[in-house]
Parts: sequence; C-alpha cells; structure tokens
Amino acid sequence: MEQGLTQLSAIPHVGGAFICDNRGDVIVSSSPAVLATVTMSAMGREVGRIVAALEASGRAGSRLDFTYSNWRLLAVDLDDGILLVVCTADVDMSFVRMNADIVLTGWRQDGTVQKRLQRHRVERHELVNRSAADAAVRTAWRAIEANGH
Amino acid sequence: MAEGLSGSLAQIPLADLLRMLGAGAQTGRLRLTSGLDVGDVFVDRGDIVHAESDGTMGDSAFGRLLTWPNGTFMFEPGITSIDRTIEKPLDVLMAESAKAASEREAIRRVIPSTDAIPRLVRELPMDAITVEAGDWRILARMDGRTSIANLAFELGFEEPEMVRHLVRLKNAGLFELEIVQSAAPAREPAQRQLAGPQFFQALIGAVADAMGPLAEVIVDDAVEGMGFTRATLPRDAVSSLCERIAAEIRDDTHRIRFQQTILSMLRSRAA
Repeated sequence: MEQGLTQLSAIPHVGGAFICDNRGDVIVSSSPAVLATVTMSAMGREVGRIVAALEASGRAGSRLDFTYSNWRLLAVDLDDGILLVVCTADVDMSFVRMNADIVLTGWRQDGTVQKRLQRHRVERHELVNRSAADAAVRTAWRAIEANGH
Repeated sequence: MAEGLSGSLAQIPLADLLRMLGAGAQTGRLRLTSGLDVGDVFVDRGDIVHAESDGTMGDSAFGRLLTWPNGTFMFEPGITSIDRTIEKPLDVLMAESAKAASEREAIRRVIPSTDAIPRLVRELPMDAITVEAGDWRILARMDGRTSIANLAFELGFEEPEMVRHLVRLKNAGLFELEIVQSAAPAREPAQRQLAGPQFFQALIGAVADAMGPLAEVIVDDAVEGMGFTRATLPRDAVSSLCERIAAEIRDDTHRIRFQQTILSMLRSRAA
C-alpha cells in the first residue's frame, strides 16, 4: 500500500495521499504525510459520511472529485475505506485518476492489502443509521435529498 | 555483500552504487524505481552489460537512469539478462552521459523553449549564407506568430529534430526568438500547443492493442466528444482524452495495460 501511495504522490502537483477507514481513522499515509494526522482524519471522516450518505440514498459513486480555489481532492471508494489524494489546483486530474486506477487494481488483487483494509472494516450502514447520525450528517442528508443528487 | 541490498538513490547515487558492485565483481539485477518509473541495470561480474528504461535499452536507457535525481534501488544477486546492450565501462558511460547533458544544455541556451516564436532577422549578419533545402522549409514558414512547437507540428517534424535544425539556423544568425511568457498562451488560445500526429499514432496503436481494429473510430469519437478534432486537440487535453477512452475498456486487464502504456507515453512526453 505504501508503494502505491508513493507512486501517486510522485505525480506532478500531487501533495500526497492517504487511506482512511469509513470512520475517518487514517490507515496509511504517503511519507512524508501530506497533512497532520488530525486533519487527514477529519477529511476522511467527512468524505466517508458523504460517501455513506450517497450510498444510502441510492446514488453511490466510486469516485468523488472536490474542487476548491487552491486545491483539489480526489476521493476513491475502497468499500472498507477511502483513498484520498490531495492535489494543487493545477493538477492534471485525468492523469491522477488513471494512475489511481492502476494502483487500486493492484490493491484489489493483493490479499495482504485486502486483509489490512478489512481489519479496519466499519460497515457504512452504521454510519448512516438515522438514530446514530449527528446534526452534521442529518444536515448533509437533508441537503442531498432536497437537491435530488 | 549484495544480498538484499536496497536503499535510496538520494543517499547512494547510481554511479557510486555501480562502482561498489563493480569492485565486488557482483552479478545480478539492479532494479531502480522512481514514482511509477522502473528501470533495470544488469551487471555481470561487476561489468554493466544491459540496461532498460521506459521502453529503451542500452546506452540511452542507462543515460536516462543516470539522470534520475531520486528513487529507490534494490539489487537482486544472480539474476542475469540474455540481452547484452552495453559494452562500455562505467567511466566511459558516465563521460558520454555528461557530454550528452552538456549538449542538451548548449541547445537549451540557443532554443530555451519550443513555445518561443522565431522571427526572421531583417538583415543577414554576413554577405552570403548557404541554406539546405530542409532548413529552407522551416525558414519559409516563419511568420513571426507561430511557435516552434506549432511549426514542428505543421511541418511534421518531431520537436527534437526541429530543434536541431533551428540551432543550426540560429547560430547562422537567420532568426531571432521571442520568448513567450507563460501567461501568454492563456490570453492567446491560438498559441496552445497541440497534441500532434505522433501522439495520435501512438494512441491509436495502444487502443488497437486494447480494443481491436476499430481503434481509429474509437479515438475519433472520443476526440469529437470533447469538441475537438485530431488537428485541434490541445496537448493539455490528452490525459482527459485517454481517460475517456480507458473508461470504454471494460476488461480490467486490458484497461490497466492501456493506461500503463499511455501514462508511460505521457510521462516521456513531459520529460
């Protein structure tokens, strides 16, 4: 896994990459870490909630591309976790996505990687159970339902 | 000593590493990795006998590996190659590589960028100059508006070949260069660099390997879907085009192989 993250981090305009479980806990990060662990964890948790909410609303997607004024974030769903690639705004995202596809295919065929991810398995439906959802999740949920995305 | 030898090229440069293997009369494969790039150097009883990198072999592959500023290495003793593409000792290879780097630098001083726009001088610096027919084709197309990269595209030259011609013409004092600032292409879309016919030739080959004989149709459909033609597709849209085509390949193995080929091609174009 570390090698795959290193490969992604070597792409021009990519700052680094990391994998979180569905709760947002960082499983592994490129070295040196692109962000503080607490920041990566917060990002992973929020993206995990979005993925879970989309899945629960029947609009699941395997890839999310967040564009901000100064940077971009590619999030790829790994089922048992989420791969996050942190990039600057001028990145060639197609190039990054194709590289990520190659890395992910390797991971899918690697039993060690799968076991490592499964050790962190947190079922998504637990995260989107309405009774367990906090205010932020409920707000995000309502926004998704209201906008029909 | 070499069993399991591995480490970082930033800490032990390739040349030092090969000297160590040479001094120990080692035989085996030295695998180098830098990002997604992988290269191999084979040594036989301490002598370098073969190198591979990015689809090239021999001296050129070795020269390319020497330029990697960082990466990792792993020496695997006992692995040999049936190919013998290098016969020169390390010192000669190093000297040739340094000479090639020096020549590249000399060219860069004359032609700093293929985004630059060549413009014919108003007066010749001498009474008479002999111009070869191939060079005249280039001079005749210089209109003071077209960049070197676009001239190469229009004339069907590979950029390195074009640059070699231009170095000769520039040294003869036949044209001046206007260096275009990086912000200029954004203001002037006409100066955007194009993907070019060589790119499409390579792309169609890769698509044919992955998807069969309809490759040309698939590529043209994808280009059209992006609102371009082969003649107008800009260079900065090629990744997007390749990704669009890759999405059409349902078989994982074929898609990954296609993407690996394409990414390798894009990296070498960027280098």
